[in-house]
Amino acid sequence: MNILIPDSWLREYLNTKATPKQIKEYLSLCGPSVERIHKEAVEVIYDVEITTNRPDAMSVVGVAREAAAILPRFGIAAKLLHDPYKIARKQRWQDSKIANKTLTIKTDANLNPRWTSIVFEGVTVKPSPNWLKKKLEATGIRSLNNIIDITNYLMRGLGQPAHAFDFDAISDKANHATMILRASKKGEKLTTLDGKNHTLPGDDIVIEDGKGRLIDLCGVMGAQNSAIRASTKTVILFLQTYDPMHIRRTMMNLAHRTEAGGLFEKGTDPELVLSAFAKGVELVTELSGGSIASRLYDIYPKPHKPYTVSLTRTKADAYIGKHLSDKEIMEILNTLGFQTKVTKEVITVSVPSFRRDVTIDVDIIEELARIYGYHNITSTLPDTAPPVVMPDPALGGEEEIKMRLRDWGYTETYTYSMISEDLMDIFGLDKAKVYKIANPLSNEWVYMRPTLWPSMLSSVKQNLNIKPDLTLFELSMTYIYRAGKLPDEKPVLLIAWTGDQFYNAKGIGEAIFALFGIPLAASHPVQMDWYTEKQLQLGAYGSVGLVHQKFLDALQIHTPVTILELDIEGLIAHARSTKQYIPIPKYPPSFEDLAFVLPPQTPVGPMMAALKSAHPLVTDVTLLDKYETTTTFHITYLSPEKNLTTEDLRPAREKLIALAQQKFGTTLKTI
Amino acid sequence: MTNQQDNDALTIAAPHFIGLLMEMEHQARELIATTDKSAEELRILLLGPKSELGKLTKQIRQVPPVDRGNVGVVVNEVKESIEKALQKKLSAISDQLSAPNDWFDVTAPGIRPPEGHLHIVSQAITEITRIFERIGFTRVRHPEVDWDWYAFESLNMPPHHPARDEWETFFIDYPGKPPASRADLERKEQIVLTPHTSNGQVREMEKGSLPIRMINIAKCYRRQLDVSHTPMFHQFEGLYVDKEVSIGDLKGVMDFFFKGYYGPDRVSRLRPFHFQFTEPSFEVDINCGVCLGKGCKLCKDGWLELGGSGMVHPNVLRSGGIDPNVYSGFAFGWGVERVAMMKSGTKLDDVRLLYSNDVRFLEQF
Repeated sequence: MNILIPDSWLREYLNTKATPKQIKEYLSLCGPSVERIHKEAVEVIYDVEITTNRPDAMSVVGVAREAAAILPRFGIAAKLLHDPYKIARKQRWQDSKIANKTLTIKTDANLNPRWTSIVFEGVTVKPSPNWLKKKLEATGIRSLNNIIDITNYLMRGLGQPAHAFDFDAISDKANHATMILRASKKGEKLTTLDGKNHTLPGDDIVIEDGKGRLIDLCGVMGAQNSAIRASTKTVILFLQTYDPMHIRRTMMNLAHRTEAGGLFEKGTDPELVLSAFAKGVELVTELSGGSIASRLYDIYPKPHKPYTVSLTRTKADAYIGKHLSDKEIMEILNTLGFQTKVTKEVITVSVPSFRRDVTIDVDIIEELARIYGYHNITSTLPDTAPPVVMPDPALGGEEEIKMRLRDWGYTETYTYSMISEDLMDIFGLDKAKVYKIANPLSNEWVYMRPTLWPSMLSSVKQNLNIKPDLTLFELSMTYIYRAGKLPDEKPVLLIAWTGDQFYNAKGIGEAIFALFGIPLAASHPVQMDWYTEKQLQLGAYGSVGLVHQKFLDALQIHTPVTILELDIEGLIAHARSTKQYIPIPKYPPSFEDLAFVLPPQTPVGPMMAALKSAHPLVTDVTLLDKYETTTTFHITYLSPEKNLTTEDLRPAREKLIALAQQKFGTTLKTI
Repeated sequence: MTNQQDNDALTIAAPHFIGLLMEMEHQARELIATTDKSAEELRILLLGPKSELGKLTKQIRQVPPVDRGNVGVVVNEVKESIEKALQKKLSAISDQLSAPNDWFDVTAPGIRPPEGHLHIVSQAITEITRIFERIGFTRVRHPEVDWDWYAFESLNMPPHHPARDEWETFFIDYPGKPPASRADLERKEQIVLTPHTSNGQVREMEKGSLPIRMINIAKCYRRQLDVSHTPMFHQFEGLYVDKEVSIGDLKGVMDFFFKGYYGPDRVSRLRPFHFQFTEPSFEVDINCGVCLGKGCKLCKDGWLELGGSGMVHPNVLRSGGIDPNVYSGFAFGWGVERVAMMKSGTKLDDVRLLYSNDVRFLEQF
């Protein structure tokens, strides 16, 4: 959380000669991060980021306490002034003779560990004096009137939120009001100060007036019905602490965040309440002319019990990489408010009430190390033996495929893993078997995609106007539904070409299969209705084909698109990573081109396979040329035993021709 | 008698002689086509007086006189054929070396191999992986869609902990279940899109093997969209668990990475921060690549904020079944896109471009 702290206000609590620049730099290195310095008129304002575990530092005095511990480490004297935990409490409320107003209070120590309130009468609600206005405005809070401004002053100055009720608005009989703090019931209604109507989700901390009317959404914002008005004469000043979880739930469920709520949800210190209350009483008396008209109500059934945390010196030394002296440890921890005992083996601290974030030994290490200075810790590379780990073959395999595709001329895309409902519908994907985002950011990104098709075709569509010839690929996860379980995250490779590029696509498939040492899986006759009839299933590993017209129409793509889809996980799982050596032939191969006249629609694949296994001398058959009905194969003959003569080739050639004729009804073309 | 006998024994039939000639021609031409020997050497070897052909030619007298004329013609044809092949080999080389009469344009563009493009994120992931490999960190991959337990609770962030607000988390609806309220979504058995790669910490520990040097790189998701945020992005998570790990070790590993990735002039610094799953926790800055830390227009005060890190919280070690009294460790999780964009010179100022999938962008890398 970021808060604005004016330099002049900070120096009310901090006696130092440090310049704003020094304060910014040194605090950032060892404590809260001062992100920026704004200069407004004569005022220097620090924009400070306070981490969520340090509600105690989310105030002017909180930052001053950090500065008082940090600046001396850089050789600049600094001292905390007016420590709210140390000032003698002038308990002015006890001086009051007129205690004619009474409150009947019922509260719950679990929801509200500490309650303090007091009634003022004869109050004049009016604008605040200039000094208060300026302070609040410099810290980003709008000045409203003296009473509200005082509550905000306490919040920003000391870190203790406060609230004020109009006594007359909630009073149930003369000089008496009832306040019952309890958990809300689901569906109860309330209008907050800002005019917003809320229907409560239940289990929110609220105060009712004894007649069922809610007068405060505790810790978040007061109710409109009990708010301070210009006409208000009698005021209840109200300072308290709450159970943080309840406050956070309420703010989240109502989507209503306030600064006070932001402090309460992190946990404020009940030990600070009375000191802040004393300051509040002082200010209300001074600035509104009001006088105390009730006794002090301070309900605090379970007071804070101090506790200790210890840390071994060896652990501290291991983390910091240096042995800190007893004196240095004492200095660091004591200035931060920890009462510290150091022996040769152990450091023991008594944790101050405002530092309940410190509960275990490493929390003390943090305090020591940061004030000692992370910048003073020597950088070292670990000198222990690294673990022996087998790398995941999938990661290397994916990297290899990507590199190859890049070198083969393809361009990689990264599309969002989430797709829209529209795309789900276009592709007829089952919305009951997919992971849907409960709180999507936009309609574009709602479903975790079970396939890469919609994203890829959208990219094709998007780029067609820019470039007519696209060769795109993506290798990303798909999220396969498993009832009641996490998705099966499957890496899939999808390549898209504009135009009919079936054989290029199939060729890339063959090359990738070869990369993994897997023969291109036999084509299954299963037809996928996402393709036109020009398609081929690559066993269980994927498919290749031309995208069906219905998708092109739906996405308004006016050119054919060819897709190759491969299950990378399967390919990698079955990869033969070690290549086997085959002795280099001693004798040269002989080559021959044979042209056949094929009957129409003769598939060339099975024919090549048959020719290849027709005779032991035939070691390879490739497709050389296809023109009308004439198909020419390039035949390689090789014998491991001898140089082949024309005589040796003859029987092999005859076998090929005979086989082609018997099995495929083809004839050798004679020239 | 004896003469006659000698003559008979020495007679070579014409077809046999021609067959020998043809075989020699075939072998000679094959040698010319495949050998590295120079044309001069080959001429001596194939046509010289001591060549196989030369020796055979001398035996022409053993051919019956009636056939001798025809055989002589074949001998000449074979010699010419070999000579031609030799000439061809010679001229082929000289043709390639110089074409004196043709004008040759050296300024015409060369013929390039096909040029494809890896996405900048893939390039960064590979580079990051390589650098950490050099100091024994192995890349792994853990789920992108995971249980709340791994993304938050095991990381010392029970449901409703305010620290969870640091992440704008996407939650997954169970099909068929009514949508829960925002607060009710925070529970152990809730599925989330991982808002960071830190879910890999406890998952890695659960493998049960120590020490750990891990780099987990995966997609992450947060409900954010502006010039420096996209709802999907990538992080790399380093996890180191061993005995007696120091803050100095974390600094050393970070500096090793920064110098490897950005260059030897770059140094990092740690500032105090807070994460529930590390204690102490740090914000990591790197000195600006333009001014090297002096302060300039780009960086304001010399440092650029890079990401978070810290010493693994004892509760996280416990979640992963590791005794925090024996082992300690450090972890860091940084954005791949952020780290890549901070490389000086990319001039990338809007992270949304990375996922725009415009080929005019993609083809630049």
